[in-house]
Amino acid sequence: MSVIEMQDVTRVYQIGQVETRALRGVNLTIEEGEFTAIVGPSGSGKTTMLQLMGCLDRPTGGRVHINGQDVTRLNPNKRADLRKGTIGFVFQFFALIPGLTAYENVELPLLLSGAKKAGRRERVNELLEAVGLSDRARHRPDQMSGGEQQRVAIARALATHPVLVLADEPTANLDTENGRQIMEIMVRLNQETGTTFIFATHDPRVIPFARRVVEVRDGKVTENSRHA
Amino acid sequence: MFKLWRIAVRDLGRNKRRSALTLIAVMMGLALIIALHAFEMGAIQGSIDDNIRIQTGHLQVRAESYEEDKVSLKWEDLLEEPQGLAAQAQSLAEVRSAAPVLWASGILGTVEESVGVRVYGIDPLSEIEAPFREGLVAGEFLAPDDRGGVLISQRLANNLGLAVGENVSLLVNTSGEQPDEATFTIRGLYDSGFPAFDEATIFLPLAKAQAFTRAGERASAVVALLHDREEADAVISALSAPGLELLTWRDLNQLMVEGMNSAMGFLYMIYLIVLAIVAVVVANTLLMSVFERTREMGILAALGMKGRQIMTMFLMESATLGAIGVILGVLLGSLGVYYLATVGVNFGDMMADVASTEIAYGETMYARFQWADTAVLSLVCWIIMLLASLYPAWFATRKEPIDALRAL
Repeated sequence: MSVIEMQDVTRVYQIGQVETRALRGVNLTIEEGEFTAIVGPSGSGKTTMLQLMGCLDRPTGGRVHINGQDVTRLNPNKRADLRKGTIGFVFQFFALIPGLTAYENVELPLLLSGAKKAGRRERVNELLEAVGLSDRARHRPDQMSGGEQQRVAIARALATHPVLVLADEPTANLDTENGRQIMEIMVRLNQETGTTFIFATHDPRVIPFARRVVEVRDGKVTENSRHA
Repeated sequence: MFKLWRIAVRDLGRNKRRSALTLIAVMMGLALIIALHAFEMGAIQGSIDDNIRIQTGHLQVRAESYEEDKVSLKWEDLLEEPQGLAAQAQSLAEVRSAAPVLWASGILGTVEESVGVRVYGIDPLSEIEAPFREGLVAGEFLAPDDRGGVLISQRLANNLGLAVGENVSLLVNTSGEQPDEATFTIRGLYDSGFPAFDEATIFLPLAKAQAFTRAGERASAVVALLHDREEADAVISALSAPGLELLTWRDLNQLMVEGMNSAMGFLYMIYLIVLAIVAVVVANTLLMSVFERTREMGILAALGMKGRQIMTMFLMESATLGAIGVILGVLLGSLGVYYLATVGVNFGDMMADVASTEIAYGETMYARFQWADTAVLSLVCWIIMLLASLYPAWFATRKEPIDALRAL
């Protein structure tokens, strides 16, 4: 079953008098359980694609289906509901809530989805252990390294058992070793949980981790290859 | 909801200096309002209490035709049997004390100069006259059967260069057409603490005043003090009779109450201005906070937080900041009120200049704690803070997640 289906998707940004065509008719299908890299140079449209897949934005033209549901014209509240239960995000800048501990950051999506306290505790501990941060649960973001923060972000992205995790340049601000660790964790969780992972990157060192590579240039998919 | 509140509270701690400055603005604004209000209300209530104590009593019974402005001594304008009426009032449980009084206007003269005065014919033994008995600073108080003595204020004595034991001439209007004049010996000097009253008021024993003004057994009024001033209306209905006019302390201090009400109207304007300034500071703080946390809101939105939840979070932040500010403001304001209630503000002779013979102003004015008003003002301040934060909170929800995340 396809998790993502983009049909002739365009996205045009109007900034003042200037019109920027970020996507120019993208057609792409991502199947359940895939581990896909979206690659391309800066400004090629990778982030825009992720934002449309993550219901953070709406396309100017074409259709986007997530888990079989047409999300093209959903209102902001419906999109928020869909994100809450279906999609997890990992951002480039270790986007944790500064005032909350690692535990609380991971717990946040569970709180928003109305999970019970006992269930939340069990899930957060399980995830922190999965990313190797059980001993950092009570630490706040400013007390953790970049790599640790990004691991917390991955744990948070998986908290609600999403169908899909979208990661935008997850290793861009990490050194080689931390970047490798992050990719290994994502690969392992993809294999263990069957969650679909899509990450955008222009870092050639992490592309080999992907089993499928989608290359984007000038707002179009130019290459779509699968590895063993 | 609790987690939202925790995020909101921790956000306050992130920019401690800004939160502290906002707290100071709320605290100072509210403290100023509380202290100002307590002082103004204290001055109003104190002045009314003083006026009741010194001049009007809680209740006055007069002849229906009596005209206060004319200080009429015509028999038809006076009470016929004031002693009986005083005794009747005294017998009521609500009444602490009641006594007849005769008012006349006169001119007090020495060899060198003379001044216009109000002559009070009083029952020297009555509790009503306690402020003057207790305010005696030289000589003796009047005795009921004294036929040649007068009690004047120390201030008047100083103005005229008089002392206890010296003689003064007194010219008064009478119930007849011709005024009368006689010489009196100063028995004592009093100081009521109210310069405007002291400068223009002298006392004679009631019997002498009645004889001097040819009023017979009559009096201008029966003045009563009550145990509880709120019972004035009940006493009125008990004493009510044809030909009598009964006035409560509210009627008798109408000028003061009205004057104070308009003063309060002006004060409320000041409160509003202060609160508006506080509201602008709060709105500015939150707006800055919204701008700074665009990224965070993008993350929360990406996690599935809805606009109204983000708005609730900002309102909680403001509510918490407001609650702390209000508590600190009440504490600081109460300290100010405590100082103003115990030390007071001494206006010296300045108040004597604005005071009149109808309104008693002491030289020192004191604040009084106004717990109910403080609670209302605090609540209003807190609500205004919440209202001021509505725009920043709404502004926070206006951002699309995609725009917020661009700040990443």
